[in-house]
Amino acid sequence: MAALPKRIIKETERLMAEPVPGISAVPHEDNLRYFDVKIHGPSQSPYEAGIFKLELFLPDDYPMTPPKIRFLTKIYHPNIDKLGRICLDVLKSNWSPALQIRTILLSIQALLGAPNPDDPLANDVAQRWKEDEPAAIQTAREWTRQYAKA
Amino acid sequence: MDSLDIDQRPAKKRRFFVEDSPEPERTVFSTASPHNDALSTANTTLHEKLLEPNSSQTDLSIHDGKDGMDVDASKNFEKETFESFVGDKVAPATFDKLREVSGDNMERAINMYLDGSWANVPAPPAPRPSSSSIMNVSNSGLPERTCQQHRTEERRLSDIMDTGSTLDRIPDYRYVGAFGVGAWATRSGTGLIKMGEAIKIERTKIKAPVKIGRGGKATQTNAARMRGDVIVRFTNSRGEEVGRLPKETANWVSTLMDQKVCRFDGVCFLAPERVRVNDTIELQLRCSLLRRAFEVGGFQKPEDNRTTGFFEEKETSDEKNLRLRQVAMVKLFDEVNLHPTTVNDTTARHKRQGILQAAEIAEQYDKEKESKNPKFSKDPKSTQDGSSTPPEDEEEEGKELEQDQLDSLYKKAQSFDFDTPIREPSDTFAMDLRKYQKQALHWMVSKEKDEKSDDKEVSMHPLWEEYTWPTKDMDDKNVPSVTNQSSFYVNPYSGELSLDFPVQEQHCLGGILADEMGLGKTIEMLSLMHSFIGTSDISTQASQPGPSSVANLPRLPKNSSAVAPAPSTTLVVAPMSLLAQWESEAVKASKPGTFKAMVYYGSEKAANLQNLCCEANAASAPNLIITSYGVVLSEFNQVAARGGDRGSHGGLFSLDFFRVILDEAHFIKNRQSKTAKACYELNAQHRWVLTGTPIVNRLEDLFSLVRFLRVEPWSNFSFWKTFITVPFESKDFLRALDVVQTVLEPLVMRRTKDMKTPDGEALVPLPPRTIEIEELELSKQEREVYDYIFTRAKRTFNATMEAGTLLKSYTTIFAQILRLRQSCCHPVLTRNKAIAAEEEEAAAASDVANGLADDMDLQELIERFTSDSDSGEQDITNKFGAHVLQEIQSQANNECPICAEEPMIEPAVTGCWHSACKKCLLDYIEHQKEKHALPLCFNCREPINQRDIFEVIHHDNDDEDDLYSATQPGQASTPPRITLRRIGSSSSAKIAALISHLKALRVNNPGTKSVVFSQFTSFLDLISPALTQANIPFLRFDGAMSQKARAAVLLEFAASQTKKNGHGTVLLLSLRAGGVGLNLTAAKRVFMMDPWWSFAVEAQAIDRVHRMGQESEVKVVRFVIGGSIEGRMLKIQERKKFIASSLGMMSEEEKKMQRIEDIKDLLS
Repeated sequence: MAALPKRIIKETERLMAEPVPGISAVPHEDNLRYFDVKIHGPSQSPYEAGIFKLELFLPDDYPMTPPKIRFLTKIYHPNIDKLGRICLDVLKSNWSPALQIRTILLSIQALLGAPNPDDPLANDVAQRWKEDEPAAIQTAREWTRQYAKA
Repeated sequence: MDSLDIDQRPAKKRRFFVEDSPEPERTVFSTASPHNDALSTANTTLHEKLLEPNSSQTDLSIHDGKDGMDVDASKNFEKETFESFVGDKVAPATFDKLREVSGDNMERAINMYLDGSWANVPAPPAPRPSSSSIMNVSNSGLPERTCQQHRTEERRLSDIMDTGSTLDRIPDYRYVGAFGVGAWATRSGTGLIKMGEAIKIERTKIKAPVKIGRGGKATQTNAARMRGDVIVRFTNSRGEEVGRLPKETANWVSTLMDQKVCRFDGVCFLAPERVRVNDTIELQLRCSLLRRAFEVGGFQKPEDNRTTGFFEEKETSDEKNLRLRQVAMVKLFDEVNLHPTTVNDTTARHKRQGILQAAEIAEQYDKEKESKNPKFSKDPKSTQDGSSTPPEDEEEEGKELEQDQLDSLYKKAQSFDFDTPIREPSDTFAMDLRKYQKQALHWMVSKEKDEKSDDKEVSMHPLWEEYTWPTKDMDDKNVPSVTNQSSFYVNPYSGELSLDFPVQEQHCLGGILADEMGLGKTIEMLSLMHSFIGTSDISTQASQPGPSSVANLPRLPKNSSAVAPAPSTTLVVAPMSLLAQWESEAVKASKPGTFKAMVYYGSEKAANLQNLCCEANAASAPNLIITSYGVVLSEFNQVAARGGDRGSHGGLFSLDFFRVILDEAHFIKNRQSKTAKACYELNAQHRWVLTGTPIVNRLEDLFSLVRFLRVEPWSNFSFWKTFITVPFESKDFLRALDVVQTVLEPLVMRRTKDMKTPDGEALVPLPPRTIEIEELELSKQEREVYDYIFTRAKRTFNATMEAGTLLKSYTTIFAQILRLRQSCCHPVLTRNKAIAAEEEEAAAASDVANGLADDMDLQELIERFTSDSDSGEQDITNKFGAHVLQEIQSQANNECPICAEEPMIEPAVTGCWHSACKKCLLDYIEHQKEKHALPLCFNCREPINQRDIFEVIHHDNDDEDDLYSATQPGQASTPPRITLRRIGSSSSAKIAALISHLKALRVNNPGTKSVVFSQFTSFLDLISPALTQANIPFLRFDGAMSQKARAAVLLEFAASQTKKNGHGTVLLLSLRAGGVGLNLTAAKRVFMMDPWWSFAVEAQAIDRVHRMGQESEVKVVRFVIGGSIEGRMLKIQERKKFIASSLGMMSEEEKKMQRIEDIKDLLS
């Protein structure tokens, strides 16, 4: 494996030294481009009190291309599908090399607090969210309790 | 008779085969006498008359060198006649002795007999009288051993007949050997000839009805007649013709007889009783060399400096005769089995072969190449080492040498003895010489004085061979020897014979100083100018004024018009670029006021050199005149235009200099070039050439130097050709190179930088030198241009390969390869006008429509490349407030948002003022473009216009031309001034690499001066602005500059001070103009921007810096574009063959063929 770019080393160090509240990202020992991520569900959101596990992988041409991120924990969210894939512009077209792991994870945390059913990834969830938002939120809470226990 | 015949036969036969055998002397007398008696009874009155107590028949077989005397009408020295004169009966022994001491001169013999002086002839000879005199020769080394000098020596009588006798001078002819031949009868009859009967060999000058000779042109010249008639007849003792010699023998025997070199007589030893026409008659022929063959003037020595060679259209009759004689003599010595006892060292082995070969080639020419079958080398004996040479191929003149051949060639000349004496330069010389330089001085002075080194034996002239006179004849009888003449000498090349020891003379007072570059040839020469000064006693060969001959144009007639001696002036001819260096070195090397040097440009007609330098003006004449090859040539033309009137021209050719020196003498390596011819005509007492490479790639290169030096006989091109070119071209490399070594050895002094003294020290301790190849990547746009040209070149190549017109389109392909190489440097270079024109021509020749389209494509690519830079550099500092810049500055000190480097590497800003490393920024833009996305700012996602990317340039506060900081000294806290500069992609990978190297150099080794070489001056044109941008001071030196401008540049570079910003001066040089001679030791770094076909050329350029006077380690960086034609060129550089051929001109078909393989490699 090629030497780790300076940027990744620096980001990793900073994630360790000054962790973002409610977010943790730890690289695998055998692959420093692969991170185990945990995000606390934002308060006053259906995901409050849940701890969500994600996996994050930095591709070879990072930071030219965005990191690849996926929820491992099952979550009921209109922008996250059954496989854990996330629909977020900064992970796609709006990526910029000036963004970092930290900022991306914050964006995801924010996405949990503000689901956007108008730009869905999981269509059934988004549908329900639009038709019966309280029920959808309820389901989300139940899923959080069920799958994202601390 | 029959029984006798049978009885005699075995003995005779043995006698025939055992010539000069060391076995004890047989009593030939007893066997011969009865036989002769028997013969004599049957013989005519002539024989009866001759019968004496010791019959004159026995004379025939016993007294070698005298035999046949009695039948020689011209030398009518007969005993009866003698006795009738003296009035006295003389004992046969006494008579013989008399004949010998008198040299067969009847009159003398009579006088000697009467006054009794004949009795004082030198003592009875030792069994082998020659050995003592041989010792004498080698010990004394005295070349003078002419017979005349010994005439007055004490003479003593020797009456010991059967051990031979000694003469004090050579007789009219002297026995050299015998051989057998099967002749054929032309008559029939019984008793025509008997065994043991003496025969005469005759050349009857009848008109030969049949041209059985070689060549046989039907011209009516003497030579042609002679060629046609080679018939050699033999007669019996009654003078009746019996038969002829076989043609092979007659061919050369006739020549030797006609040219009065030899006489032949013989004995029949096997003949049928009844002879029929065409019967074979076995003869034994005895050959004696005529005295007159040795005499000066007996043969016309081939004229010196004759330019006609064997390949000239017309072979003169003289040359024809010479050639026939050469061949005949070689044949003769083969037949009589006489081998040279001494030959000049290395040339020995192959000499004869060479002569035969050369003659053979001439003959083939005669026959207009009718037959390629070498007639003479079929004779196995003619090649002494037993290997016959292959038939000549028709080769072009001047084949090239392989590197290893060159190496071995120099080996001998380089075997420099570290103990050779030294000589201190005179007081007026202001520099210190190293030991080897003092040795060179000693050598040069002794060459100029023509002193023979004492420790060296006098060596024989390389063209001559020494032969020992046989002391026994074929019957094992002693032959009379001649005092102090046990040997004779043969020059098989000129056909000359000599009794005197031919000394290897060195007519030329001078030589070749071939020290490797950087060992200080210039200094050595200057020390010579100081230390060996012409004195008036040197006989100046003032040429007589005389009418000039207009017919001789353009060669200047030597004696045309007064050429005045310049007894204290040395003329140096050097390439233009070195004139200033010579002058400054001359000044540096001399104590003030002791040495006058002047540069002569010819065109400055202010001075009449003749008046300036002539003897009358000796006191104020310049000691050194420096001029260029161009001036020599133009004055040569001027003088030639005046009909060779040297004197009135008043220029270089009007003087006979004390010394002339050609610097970088390989300038005249082509002997047919006008410059070379002009240089040959320079008159001087002493002649020197300086060159690091006496042989660039052909043996003929050396010839031109030798020709200039006037080294006899090598300056004769036909000698050269016979000896060197012909063997070399017939693949007999070893031999040719051997000979070249012997030519070189006495002429050349050559030391190399890597020579070590016996103590293991380097001759010139030079600091180490490292060469590093730096492989660079082309930018994407550069790569596009490169790939485009590459594809096209390859397409052209393949197409022509298929069509088989490769040679025709050779120039086209080569032009395309050139463009490939240029595109490695900088794509813009491929738009070079000259190249474009060349290409257009080529395109027109192949496919107009295609070519046009191609061109447009390329144009587009280039435009894409250049469009970004056409607005050029723009300092936009003024457009924006200091605030913005400060912000940028602070950003730049932060870490790069993309790669996290802190601070940024070469920070750059977008049009929206967001900073990142230049590379990161460009990479990101490239990344987005690849995804066909609009490039956006990484920070604010504003669209980025690629033209609006600016480099942040730090201006150092101590920058000389920074007025702002200069007015505020001491304000260290002032934030560094920055400006923004639009990034022009007009830079290329190589330029960028060069700049970053130079920048790093400023940081790590402030003030280091560098030299940048490129073979493309147009590339230098592009590097210059890049250096200006980077605020790096530079100078430039190329072939387009005037001499004075070049000198100024070199001076400035050497003297330039380090700029305050820490940048040492950079010198941009074109490889061609700067590759030779210059001294650039002020620099410590060398950057080779592009590889040349031969690394030797690059190495030479590097040696401008890494040479004597360099005190620091030299680092060399060679830039090479990875995955390009340049990388493959490096591989080809390693192949010797290519090195050799690329140095020459590109015009010859053969070389093209050779290079096609290389082109295949290049385009693979």
